[in-house]
Amino acid sequence: MRAFLAIAVLGGGVAHATVGSALRIADVAPDIPLIVVVLLALRRGPEFGCGAGFVAGLLQDAATGGLLGVQALTKAVIGFGIGALGGRLRVSQPLVQVPGLVVLSLLEGLARFGLLQLFHFPAPFGELMVYVVLPQALYNGFLGAALVLALAWAETARSRPS
Amino acid sequence: MRIRALALLGIVAGVCLLLLTLQMRGRSVGASDALALVTTPIQTVLARVNRATLGVWGTYRDWKNVRAENRRLRDETQRLRVEALRVTETDAENQRLRRLLTLKESLPLETMAGEIIAREWGGWVRSLTINRGRGDTVARLTAVIAPDGLVGRIVDVRAGSSVVQVLTDPASTVGAHVVRTRTPGIIEGEPRGTLRFKYMARDGSGIQVGDVVVTSGLGGLFPGGIPIGRVRTIDDRGSALFSYAQVTPAVDFARIDEVLLLTGGAARDVAASFRSDG
Repeated sequence: MRAFLAIAVLGGGVAHATVGSALRIADVAPDIPLIVVVLLALRRGPEFGCGAGFVAGLLQDAATGGLLGVQALTKAVIGFGIGALGGRLRVSQPLVQVPGLVVLSLLEGLARFGLLQLFHFPAPFGELMVYVVLPQALYNGFLGAALVLALAWAETARSRPS
Repeated sequence: MRIRALALLGIVAGVCLLLLTLQMRGRSVGASDALALVTTPIQTVLARVNRATLGVWGTYRDWKNVRAENRRLRDETQRLRVEALRVTETDAENQRLRRLLTLKESLPLETMAGEIIAREWGGWVRSLTINRGRGDTVARLTAVIAPDGLVGRIVDVRAGSSVVQVLTDPASTVGAHVVRTRTPGIIEGEPRGTLRFKYMARDGSGIQVGDVVVTSGLGGLFPGGIPIGRVRTIDDRGSALFSYAQVTPAVDFARIDEVLLLTGGAARDVAASFRSDG
């Protein structure tokens, strides 16, 4: 299980830059590490979510050649937050999963923009939101919901007595 | 538990902010290099896997495209083949009608064009049905010709059609002569669909294979000079009164689609009209 978690976090962080392009639709690629962190945080709690978010984000920063620490911090915060709220969230329904992931993606985008502004990194807010963050958030929502359903189906199939 | 989680978040945030600060001050080379040591091998492996997967997917998509293209091209070929057949058919019809029109214009007789709508090829009777009848004032025994020569005569006139007795009909007889020797005789149809030239033995001593036989114009039914056929074989019976020659018809009765009916004019020699037509 630990190996699986390690692969999920490490692979998710690096795969985004490498395999993510294969999932590109109309020039929009999903934020796979974010989805992985959210899913793990919901199951393993705030500490794991925070650590997973940090590692996945840091690898993502390194893999994509961005400023080290930006996504590490935003994803760590998201992982912590989702892990802390996990017990109170009813995430089994796609009607919750899709908008939930969309909102989380938007929050992550806003946080990243805030950090970049803090370190005087030039990034036009409007364009970023319209052309990058919002389309990616929508994609994350549907892909994440599909992954949650797939995992639930796999678990049900595994727990069914043979 | 919560304090530990908060502490972890604080440490993580601190590390991140430190990293960012160091980067902004240009002192992050070590951290980047250390992370690259981890990410580069993983990226390399993932890129290879990704490329292989995409390669398989690309090949499959190409194969599907080729299949669709193949199907489309096959349909296109089929359509073009039908189109080509239609063009060929139209072209052939155009040529036939052109020849018929040339003959019609060159003949010093009144003519009427007719289209063959049925054929009787049983052996007992050899006839063609054309789309000209009583309404077109077609008369019985009207001569029927084609660009290559004589076809026959009309033996039955109906409301909208007429029946043409073809030369090869066993009951058909036409006065004829050999062009080269002027040997007179009678062309008779035979049950097997061939023509026989019957002539007086003493008049036909000079007939050769390949000689052209045309209508004689005697009797007033057919104008003279219309090609009937060419001598194929000669059956010289020595002391017999009549000799016979097998004649290959000038007209391929199985293939003609349009004919001319000679509806009026003096029964004169029309050989020139056919000669110019070949």
